[in-house]
Amino acid sequence: MSTVLNLSSGPHIRDRRSTPFLMYVVALALLPAAAVGVWVSGLRALWVILTSVITAVGTEFFYDKLMGKPDTWRDGSALVTGLLLAMTLSADTPLYAPILGSLFAILVVKCAFGGLGKNFINPALTGRCFLLISFPNAMTSYSVDGVTGATPLAQLAAGNVVNVTKMFLGTAGGVIGSCTVALLIGGLLLWALDIIHGQICFSILGGFVLFLGLFGGKGFDPGFLAAHLCGGGVMLAAFFMATDYVTSPVSRLGQTVYGLLIGVLGAIFRVFGTAADSFSYAVIIGNLFVPLIDTYIIPKPYAFRKGALAAQNGEVKPPLSRRVPKPVIALALITLVAGLALSGTYSLTKDAIEEQKRAANKAAYQAVCPDAETFTGLDDKVAKVSGDVYGSGFGRVTINEAVEGFDAAGNSVGYAISATSAEGYDGNITLYVGVAPDGSLRSISFTELHETPGKGMLCDEPAFKDQFSGKNVSAFKINAGSGDEKIDGVTGATVSSRAVVNAVNAALDFYQTHIKGVN
Amino acid sequence: MNKSFQGGVHLPEQKELSSGSPLRWFQTEGDMVYPLSQHIGKPARPVVKKGDSVLVGSCLAEADGFVSAPVFCGCSGTVKAIEKRRVISGALADCIIVENDGAFTMAEGVGEARDLSEISNSEIPDIVQRAGIVGLGGAGFPTHVKLRPKDPDSIRFIIANGAECEPYLTCNDRLMREYGDGIAAGLSLVLRLFPNAQGVIGIEDNKPEAIAAMQKAVAGEPRMSVMPLQTKYPQGGEHSLIRAVAGIDYPVAKLPADVGCIVENVGTLYAIWRAAAFREPLFSHCFTLTGDAVKTPGNYFVREGTSLQEIIDASGGLKEGVTLKKALAGGPMMGFAISDLSAPVQKTTNGLTLLCEDGSELALKKQTACLRCGRCTTVCPTGLLPELMADAAAKGDYDRYEKKLYGLECVSCGSCSYICPAKRPLTETFKAVKAEILARRRAAQEGGAK
Repeated sequence: MSTVLNLSSGPHIRDRRSTPFLMYVVALALLPAAAVGVWVSGLRALWVILTSVITAVGTEFFYDKLMGKPDTWRDGSALVTGLLLAMTLSADTPLYAPILGSLFAILVVKCAFGGLGKNFINPALTGRCFLLISFPNAMTSYSVDGVTGATPLAQLAAGNVVNVTKMFLGTAGGVIGSCTVALLIGGLLLWALDIIHGQICFSILGGFVLFLGLFGGKGFDPGFLAAHLCGGGVMLAAFFMATDYVTSPVSRLGQTVYGLLIGVLGAIFRVFGTAADSFSYAVIIGNLFVPLIDTYIIPKPYAFRKGALAAQNGEVKPPLSRRVPKPVIALALITLVAGLALSGTYSLTKDAIEEQKRAANKAAYQAVCPDAETFTGLDDKVAKVSGDVYGSGFGRVTINEAVEGFDAAGNSVGYAISATSAEGYDGNITLYVGVAPDGSLRSISFTELHETPGKGMLCDEPAFKDQFSGKNVSAFKINAGSGDEKIDGVTGATVSSRAVVNAVNAALDFYQTHIKGVN
Repeated sequence: MNKSFQGGVHLPEQKELSSGSPLRWFQTEGDMVYPLSQHIGKPARPVVKKGDSVLVGSCLAEADGFVSAPVFCGCSGTVKAIEKRRVISGALADCIIVENDGAFTMAEGVGEARDLSEISNSEIPDIVQRAGIVGLGGAGFPTHVKLRPKDPDSIRFIIANGAECEPYLTCNDRLMREYGDGIAAGLSLVLRLFPNAQGVIGIEDNKPEAIAAMQKAVAGEPRMSVMPLQTKYPQGGEHSLIRAVAGIDYPVAKLPADVGCIVENVGTLYAIWRAAAFREPLFSHCFTLTGDAVKTPGNYFVREGTSLQEIIDASGGLKEGVTLKKALAGGPMMGFAISDLSAPVQKTTNGLTLLCEDGSELALKKQTACLRCGRCTTVCPTGLLPELMADAAAKGDYDRYEKKLYGLECVSCGSCSYICPAKRPLTETFKAVKAEILARRRAAQEGGAK
């Protein structure tokens, strides 16, 4: 036989899966979330995604060509970076943002540090933070149904109740990749396929939940935790950003420490800082700790670990309870007790806190419901509609609160309903609407109004707001309609007037469908 | 879930190529070439000279010292020469060449049945030593040394290694299926030396027929049992097997006997039984001819000294139209690439795998930068951090490699190189670094001695 045989040291076979395979699987795992993003926000989201991906891949292609390096654009890593960056952007972002972000991510964060495997922080997240610093306005405006407003997370941070179901499904607004369930499916799939390390994602989620539970002020309240877990890119960070191979530690223990660090940092930023972008920064800070973790956390081989020596000497393994170090058990118990105590305290004091809040708001209630002495919250009714734009035809109005007033004898004397319109000329307009038991409007009173002085601010003058008093109509009309339903807008403040009327109408509608309609 | 070890990889098994082929005797026609060093330890010393007549079972070379093993003839014929020949390792090594007369006439006494109950316990290691039996799993450590540990009472497990975790190879599977009683008899002979030990036959669960056959063979034996193991490479490695069976992780500085275990390949146990029951020294063993380049893969009892090329030709040669890229003594994970197929089968050659595709070559072409994906860490059966070891090796930081990263604990199983998506030559690097560190250490010791 004349064949020349290859000689080399073993192993002589290799796994079929290569770097591009891993990258394309990650990209595939992101597709469900991207698809939901496009479905919710429309084609604008698709343009953002395409722009970001094409810029990222193109940048890598031209960089390699220009620098005479081997082609790496096909390996899928630039594709994943572009896709990830797009997932962190709002569909309304002007298209220069994904272009600049991808350029920065690939060129500065990745290529300048030596290409694939050499970058020390997550390119996509750094790209996002670069944009956030450069274009704070464009980057922090999110919209739902074309209407700009606060994200669920901002509302959560403001202490409002949010609609967790919508956040879970990704229809609550925010960035393109905000569909929690799609991200969770993609992430769990990657974990099941052994493509990402479970130590990282689950310790992030664990650390986050633990810290929020202990220091978030509401204990382990499921609704509160679920809202936090569904909002603000926790899932994207835990399953797709922090698990980036290049910027995470190599050892299992190191990965756990890294994950806990990110989870706790994210929670700290959420609880004590501004809630926005807490996880972008938490992951980047976590990335910076990776070299340190990899230097100091080097687990010994199995044969040198605790317990291995005893086994080598023929000692029988102690039962599990004795193998878990005592401090760990103690810590776990303390955490459990503290968590339970906090949760318990929260549920016990929940009503008391509500009562206090109501006492503090009593003045506001009485402004629109003057003959009432005590007020009872109608929180369950408000919870049905909270966190969302109320109804249709009121613009972006939310119902904040509703209370029923009782006189000294205990008879119901009416209701006070608080509504906010996000469509003021200069921000939110919040007002209380007093409704008599017969359904007629008693009066309105503003608690938040910062419109143009001399124009929008005139809404707070009796000439405008007294027009509502004593009327019993299903809805008011601005500068239209006839009789009781007609309201004359403040001259030169059409926007403000319309926002006020919308808020009032929403409050009336809420009364008719959710309070009166039910009773 | 069957027992196993931490880490490891799931390999394409490729066992179906040859697992259906029963073990048959391969009758060598050509000359036989006997390397003097087919084991770990000192090479054997020839006791024949050119022109001598030899028979099946004749001693060709005797052990030179305690850690050494004699070499026996597997054919009858005439000693043609004692000269250097190319062997499997690629080296030119001293070999005894025997012209085969094709008669296979047995030497006197060889093959004569003996009642096992007549053998006293103290005779057993001597029989093994005189029969030239070495570890047939691939390492080739003289078996009698393993049977004489410092403290026989401390041995708790005699582990029969029937894992056969290398892809392609099936000869141990066939041996267990067809000669399970012989393996069990060999195991029971070894157990006689260790009163406190249990005999455990570890078999990967991809070999249900072998598990059933061995369970039948040990039925009613209180000291022997079969333990099905997860099918996961390197389950048949000594460390992995001891971890799975006895739950012990031990460092490379220790021997299995130091942790109360002795591991013997099922082929070795079979050879022990043949030596004790039939006065048959080791001159043949089971062998798999396989690979995607072979026309007719199969399992054989092959006499040591037979040329690999003769086995290929007699089996029907290569498939038409394929190019043989790589020939491996053993399987594709820890097997040794052969340059010259005229090299003879040695005691430790349990298979010949002929491949049309060379994974190492393809890996070299597709190599990319390390992603730090951590797959190597996940699969390492020893609990090492191959990413950091490769990094330290590249920087020449051997101190960190050895002391901080425990790099010398690497058992060279190849799992990290196999799994690496960036196709980096990890195991290959670690073997080279280990050799380099040990060479430096020896040099330092010699320098210090002067």
